[in-house]
Amino acid sequence: MKAAAFDYHRPATLAAALPLLAGGARPVSGAQSLGPMLNLRLARPAALVEVGRLPELRRVEERPEGVLYGAGITHAEFEDRAVPDPTGGILPAIAHGIAYRAVRNRGTLGGSLAHADPAADWPVTLTALGAIVHLTAPTRHREMPLRDFLRGAFDTALGEGEILAGVFVPRLSPQARWGYRKSCRKVGEFAEAMAAVLLDPPRGVARLVIGATEARHIVLEGLQTLDSVEAALAGAGLTEDPARARLFRTVVREALAAATGEGAHA
Amino acid sequence: MNRVTIEVNGRVLAAEVAPRQHLGDFLREELLLTATHLGCEHGVCGACTVLIDGAPARSCIAFPAMLDGAKITTLEGLSDDPVTAELRAAFTAEHGLQCGFCTPGMLIMARDIVLRRPGADEEAIRHELAGNLCRCTGYVGIVRAVRAVAAARAGLPAEVTRGLPVPAPAYVSPLALPEAGALAPAGRAAPAAAPPSAPPPSVDEKSLETLKNPVRLEQRFTVPAGVGAVWDFFQRPEAVVACLPGARLVAPSDGTRFEAEMTVKLGPMQAAFRGAGTIAADAASYTGTLRGQGVDSRSASRVQAELVYRLEPAGVATAVHVDIAYALQGPLAQMSRGAIARDLAGRLTVAFAQNLAAALAGAGAPAAPAPLDGGGLLLAMVKDWLGRLFRRRG
Amino acid sequence: MAAADSRLKGEAVSRGVGASVPRKEDARLLEGRGRFIGDMRFPGQLEAAFYRAPIAHGRIRAIHIPPHLAGRAFTHADMVGVKDILAKTGLPGFRVSAQPSLAADKVRFAGEPIVMVLAATRAEAEDLVEAITVEFEELPANHDMLGAVAPGAALIHEDWPENVFLVSQAEKNFEASRAVLDAAPVKVTRTVRTSRQCMAPLEGKGCIALHERHVEQLTLWTSTQMPHIVRSGLAECLGLEERQVRVVAPDVGGGFGWKGLLQPEEVCCAWAALRLDRPIKWLEDRREHLIAAANCREHHYEMTAWADAEGRILGLDALAHVDAGAYSVYPFSACLEGAQVVSNLPGPYDIPAYRCRALSVCSNKPPIVPYRGVARTGVCTAIEFMVEAVAREAGLDPVEVRLRNLVGPERMPFRSITGKDFDMGDYPESLRRAREMIGDAAVRARQAGGEADGRRIGIGYAVYCEQGAHGTSVYHGWGIPMVPGFEQCGARLTPDGTLEIRVGNQSHGQSMETTLAQIACEILGIDPAKVNVVHGDTALTPYSTGTWGSRSAVMAGGAVASACEQMAERVKAIGAHLLQAPREAVRLEAARVVGPQGSVSLREIAHTFYRAPQNLPADANPDGLDLVAGYRPAVDTGTFSYASHAAVVAVAPGTGEVEILDYVIVEDGGVLLNPMVVDGQIYGGTAQGIGTALYEEMVYDANGQPLASTLADYLLPGAGEMPPVRIAHMETPSPNTRFGQKGIGEGGAIAPPAAIGNAINDALAGLGAELTTCPMTPRRVREALVRAGAAAEAAR
Repeated sequence: MKAAAFDYHRPATLAAALPLLAGGARPVSGAQSLGPMLNLRLARPAALVEVGRLPELRRVEERPEGVLYGAGITHAEFEDRAVPDPTGGILPAIAHGIAYRAVRNRGTLGGSLAHADPAADWPVTLTALGAIVHLTAPTRHREMPLRDFLRGAFDTALGEGEILAGVFVPRLSPQARWGYRKSCRKVGEFAEAMAAVLLDPPRGVARLVIGATEARHIVLEGLQTLDSVEAALAGAGLTEDPARARLFRTVVREALAAATGEGAHA
Repeated sequence: MNRVTIEVNGRVLAAEVAPRQHLGDFLREELLLTATHLGCEHGVCGACTVLIDGAPARSCIAFPAMLDGAKITTLEGLSDDPVTAELRAAFTAEHGLQCGFCTPGMLIMARDIVLRRPGADEEAIRHELAGNLCRCTGYVGIVRAVRAVAAARAGLPAEVTRGLPVPAPAYVSPLALPEAGALAPAGRAAPAAAPPSAPPPSVDEKSLETLKNPVRLEQRFTVPAGVGAVWDFFQRPEAVVACLPGARLVAPSDGTRFEAEMTVKLGPMQAAFRGAGTIAADAASYTGTLRGQGVDSRSASRVQAELVYRLEPAGVATAVHVDIAYALQGPLAQMSRGAIARDLAGRLTVAFAQNLAAALAGAGAPAAPAPLDGGGLLLAMVKDWLGRLFRRRG
Repeated sequence: MAAADSRLKGEAVSRGVGASVPRKEDARLLEGRGRFIGDMRFPGQLEAAFYRAPIAHGRIRAIHIPPHLAGRAFTHADMVGVKDILAKTGLPGFRVSAQPSLAADKVRFAGEPIVMVLAATRAEAEDLVEAITVEFEELPANHDMLGAVAPGAALIHEDWPENVFLVSQAEKNFEASRAVLDAAPVKVTRTVRTSRQCMAPLEGKGCIALHERHVEQLTLWTSTQMPHIVRSGLAECLGLEERQVRVVAPDVGGGFGWKGLLQPEEVCCAWAALRLDRPIKWLEDRREHLIAAANCREHHYEMTAWADAEGRILGLDALAHVDAGAYSVYPFSACLEGAQVVSNLPGPYDIPAYRCRALSVCSNKPPIVPYRGVARTGVCTAIEFMVEAVAREAGLDPVEVRLRNLVGPERMPFRSITGKDFDMGDYPESLRRAREMIGDAAVRARQAGGEADGRRIGIGYAVYCEQGAHGTSVYHGWGIPMVPGFEQCGARLTPDGTLEIRVGNQSHGQSMETTLAQIACEILGIDPAKVNVVHGDTALTPYSTGTWGSRSAVMAGGAVASACEQMAERVKAIGAHLLQAPREAVRLEAARVVGPQGSVSLREIAHTFYRAPQNLPADANPDGLDLVAGYRPAVDTGTFSYASHAAVVAVAPGTGEVEILDYVIVEDGGVLLNPMVVDGQIYGGTAQGIGTALYEEMVYDANGQPLASTLADYLLPGAGEMPPVRIAHMETPSPNTRFGQKGIGEGGAIAPPAAIGNAINDALAGLGAELTTCPMTPRRVREALVRAGAAAEAAR
């Protein structure tokens, strides 16, 4: 299928882009998610505005406490370590596992988070890492934890005319431990269940994020008992189907094992 | 039409492009560069892989309008490339192709792999090739061929192709490309835009179809009003329909039939169902039924729905029982397991019940409830499907 | 064997039969110079898009086409005089379905075309389709074959008494063995199911129809496996004489069966080209392919097997359902699959008592089309699951049980209980070698030790035989629109001594441009590089039923050999004259006619005939160096290649993930024309079989809506999913073919679901779980484990 007709604008600056967005145009950067929707005529925007290559969205600012990435940084740039990494290799490793290289060359961090797929790699990973998103609208700039930004499946806190301009990722301590597990039917394909665990005792962080729930991510802070994990899974309706529950329990267990250095499935 | 300057296989050209035309079609249809093949047009199969500014990308989900200033290299543009020459020889030696349809995309990806990961082992190559589907070879010959070329490059410095310039070939294609000249597609009159023609909404009880295998949802709630007042409310179709998020009557109802439309939005997506229905009510038993069916004509998707309500006096208040059943068919349905549809569709029913309760409680139905965004049945189905299509994107 | 002898001769050593000659096809495809249907365009062409049924079953009440589409949108009512597609069979009791190219009064599957819309580009045509609305009276959809035959199911063809195309059955020695079976110590019963699949060649179907007024001919360029059959069918539908129709297949991007039929869209485009006098192009896109062409593999079996204490199978009883979809397709009909289920279910095993009944069920799904392996993938899965179940029930080693039941080499040629004539081979030996190659003993030892990562490993086997290139004696009984018989080849020596070979089938990945040139090399000694193989064009090639049924190496190969042999005689006659030697004193060697004194090249001979005929005697044969010769094997019941597959898998019980750790194939394809090409066919078929085993499934909802419309929903195996596959060959020549070759094109796709399924079940056996539905997805693995857990709980 071929896309239905739409208009396309490529403003030179963020300041020029914002009024267009406020006028109802949709933002686009790598088009790796939007492109298929356009071709299948599921997305029928009247107009698209290019934001991924705006200079403001291509900046990277390294700070002592972490790195602020422009939303237009591509997955491949993370994978290739072309940008600084405050996580000791977590970001490049996760980027390497996203879809395929041809997609990673075009797809962007901001596009992925704004798409807010509960089973995508960045939302789960960066929620676990405690990332902060920077949102910009013509009249305001605000920041919020990614965890609050992601409101549900494909649902974010972005307001009308507002765009995701940047993502701040906190610097981990050298003692930080990480566990990540996703169950996919194919290499590069979607996850049917996923879990990320960050243990960073010097910074007082112990966090478990469960994704691919078809709804908002499950985020558990602090040291959790397995009972509380089970309760969280049940609360999200993930234990009604025993075959599905078995998968989520396994993925969580293996992510925890990887973070604590046990078990074989990292 | 947008004007762009774009470099293809080393030739700079200026072109007028329709924003909706993807790069694969632009290369194939406007430039007759047909080495680039289209296998799915939704970014999964990899047959259409080309180099954009030196790095592999799907040409079916890249758009020339968005590529002003970019340098595109197709397989034709790699005719003099020494690494591609090695790969060609290896593909022949290892029987890395049969029908040859996936081959151009496979070669472009393989070139990137051997440059970026010289000496890559078989497992790495299989992982890197995962985004290029082949239906003929079982990948055996392809993996061996890439492995052979990668092995020959072991020890060489890795070349990240992101942003890497690709030298232009001496010979491009049989088609002489205009150099920095205008390339305007042959004058194509856009088809006269005509409004989608809705079928004449003629509907009666007989013409409505029985719901088949619907999803069923139910709600029970109590409103602080007498059964008579509540009954009267249910006899006003515009009021009842207005409680359904995104729905409205398009013409006044005569009390037995109605015409309505319902808009469902999800991010950039929107569907507009338009249709008609019937109303039946039995005052003696305080029960009634609204049945309707509608079509989103752009996608040829159909929805049928039935709402049965029953009122019961509960002291000074009234207990309201609402049962909703719906079935969605056509392209918008052909994308879902429906497993979580029921779950999320429940939210629609909840919202509907809340609006009803609010209206019956005297707060008045919301004048124009927002289209289903974040809680609707279509949303639910589409979300599930989108998840499966796009969650690979990071 | 001629092949063996010729390997001693000159050029043939490296480039004739038996050599892994690099493919002639590769250069153009590797440089992007291939020409596929989508690469072609003609001046003034219009592109078609279709309004397709959004529902699976219903009556069309009204079609609303807005005025601005006048002359650009066409319905069944416009196609006056076009006949429905009819694919009858001669089988008693077969019910005939008429498939209109555009739905007339009823739609019978979601995706069925209703309106054809034409515009300058596909995008514009799709814009116009959106303006059309169709009103339906919806009918209950038969989304499941078992429900479709239940009492009260809505009739899809309303003049039929039930939704069944045909009931096929066989009974051999079954009733007579009742007492033996009743007394058997081992009895197992299983239900096995394979899911509906899409063949999914990387290139979709497509066609361009041209009205060539200068010759009053309709030319259909189409991505087909069988141009001559499409021509016959198209002529019948359009009421044309076949001389008025030319069908040409350019490069075709994979077929696997999906391009082996006359398609309604082809009829529509051809009609529109004649009506509008403009080239009409249609390219099936991926969404159309997934929604409207999920058309193969869906079987359901209920089976009981009886065995003695040593695992010798005493009898097999089966009831099979094949979901044949809404219509009978041209030319294979709706019943090929069901009939093959009955005749192939015993597989390579010697089963003394057999009863099978197979219903070809009509459902509200796309019409079934034979997919690589045809019924045998389902059949092999069914019988191999049963053999494994017998072994488990009897407490015996599954390989030993198979060895006790396979037809042994001492009994070849062997007529099976269903009348299949196994030509030659050593089936048990292939299994023994597979057991050796996979390292059965080591795997069993490892299995006993357990895995450090908590996964469970298992080993599984499957054996099959693949009837290929079966001809008239097999097909005439079915009475379908196409009965294969003779195959011809045209051969022409050009004036400069190069060779053109013309065959009526079509090569779309099978490498026939190379292997048929190797056969010419074998006979004439001519370098394959100097041979052009012309195929896929009805105007240029002799009639052929096309490329299907693993028949081309045997049939086209045989025809090329016949033609080249005749050419050799003619060349030698001229050469003898030029050498002034007696006819019987010359021989052909390395593309030269060699006499007692001196030799003369093919080039000189051709030059003489065409351009210097004054140098030939007056009575020289005027038929010259351009001829057509034919071939038909003396025994045309087919070749029987066979193979044993062995798989080792690791199953993660928590997630249900399955990894194939090792995969071994021991194959007997007879004499291999080009071993590299044969291996390629086996690898490719195996990948598709792995898709059937683990990934591919088109799910339908209860209203018959297909639920996978992208390749993110319908999963094809990628490089990351393919295990390293190891192949070993046995080469028992077929006594019935020209070089001893056997058809092998489909075999790889037959056994993987059985071998992998048996391995998964072996891995899970200790947990009490068993899977019998393909694909064996992680979810199905977990469900089986959950069921087993619940059963264990209940038993406590």
